[in-house]
Amino acid sequence: MYLTRIQLITALGAVGLAAAVLELVRRRRLTEEYSLPWVISTVVVAVLGLSPPVLAAVTGALGILYESSLVFFVGLAFGTIMLLYLSIKLSQLTHEHQAVVRELALLRLRLDERAPESGAGLSPGGRA
Amino acid sequence: MSGGGVLVIIPACNEAASLPHTLDEVRARAPGMDLLVVDDGSRDDTARAPHDRGVPVLRHVVNLGVGAALQTGLRFALERGYDVAVQLDADGQHDPSYLEALVRPVLAGECDVAIGSRFVARTSYHAPLTRRAGMLLFSGVVRLLTGQRITDTTSGFRAYGREAMEACQRDLPRDFPDAPFLITLARRGFRLREIPVEMRERRAGDSFYTLSKTLYYPYKNLLASLMAWLRRPA
Repeated sequence: MYLTRIQLITALGAVGLAAAVLELVRRRRLTEEYSLPWVISTVVVAVLGLSPPVLAAVTGALGILYESSLVFFVGLAFGTIMLLYLSIKLSQLTHEHQAVVRELALLRLRLDERAPESGAGLSPGGRA
Repeated sequence: MSGGGVLVIIPACNEAASLPHTLDEVRARAPGMDLLVVDDGSRDDTARAPHDRGVPVLRHVVNLGVGAALQTGLRFALERGYDVAVQLDADGQHDPSYLEALVRPVLAGECDVAIGSRFVARTSYHAPLTRRAGMLLFSGVVRLLTGQRITDTTSGFRAYGREAMEACQRDLPRDFPDAPFLITLARRGFRLREIPVEMRERRAGDSFYTLSKTLYYPYKNLLASLMAWLRRPA
């Protein structure tokens, strides 16, 4: 089997990635929500990498010539989908961030109106 | 706090140089109107001039963009019960003498948004060629998608009635509140009207429309205009 080495590398990579993702969740540096697509993709890649019959079947069904191409295709598709997902999340965070900054501005003014002596509204930058 | 009345909202980012004059001028020309400055993450002493004059300041701790600053001002206007809110630029381009003319049709219920336009009447305003082409393009886009004729889509000199202010809480884009925003308002059934005004040279600071924005602006606003048109008005 001339594919063995690439299969082995793929499988090792998938297992390593899965371990890293789970460890990040354990340390609370990655939330469960964001870990899900990573876990799914590593499982898919591991199955394709470790099981030649499954890989061959899927490759044949999709009309792809080389089995290793399928593994790369799946990885690339995942990367693209993940980036789109992150862009959506970033847009959402932008909206939420804007709402928080606005609310902070309104509350700060209300506070200054109650205690005008402090002069707290003056300092520019807020990082002094 | 205030029942009814008119609020003049001045979004300002690093406008410490021109803001004192602008505030004094509004006070002199439109003594019956209240003032509000929205300091959009300035790094200079923009907040000092309004503070010294007893004008309330809403301060964004980071810079969000002129659309977001306007939205914050409109939220304030809604919360305090103002009937009409006018946006006026801090840099002195907008002549406060026209405030009365801008507010009148909104107060009278003749329209929901009044737009101070450079081009309705013959004015002395001369823009660079690229800017002119852009204005023509977006005026055409607005006309094509809404059937309304708005000659000056980039004018920030506008008066909003209460219902329009409420719509702005959902629809105002964070960066450029221009053509796509007007399309959204028109699609929601708000009546827009242009009022002829003269605009002046800015007193200090840099124009909001810089070179990188010159390239991004048409892309963003063409896409956003199309989306504003495609979106079902809720």
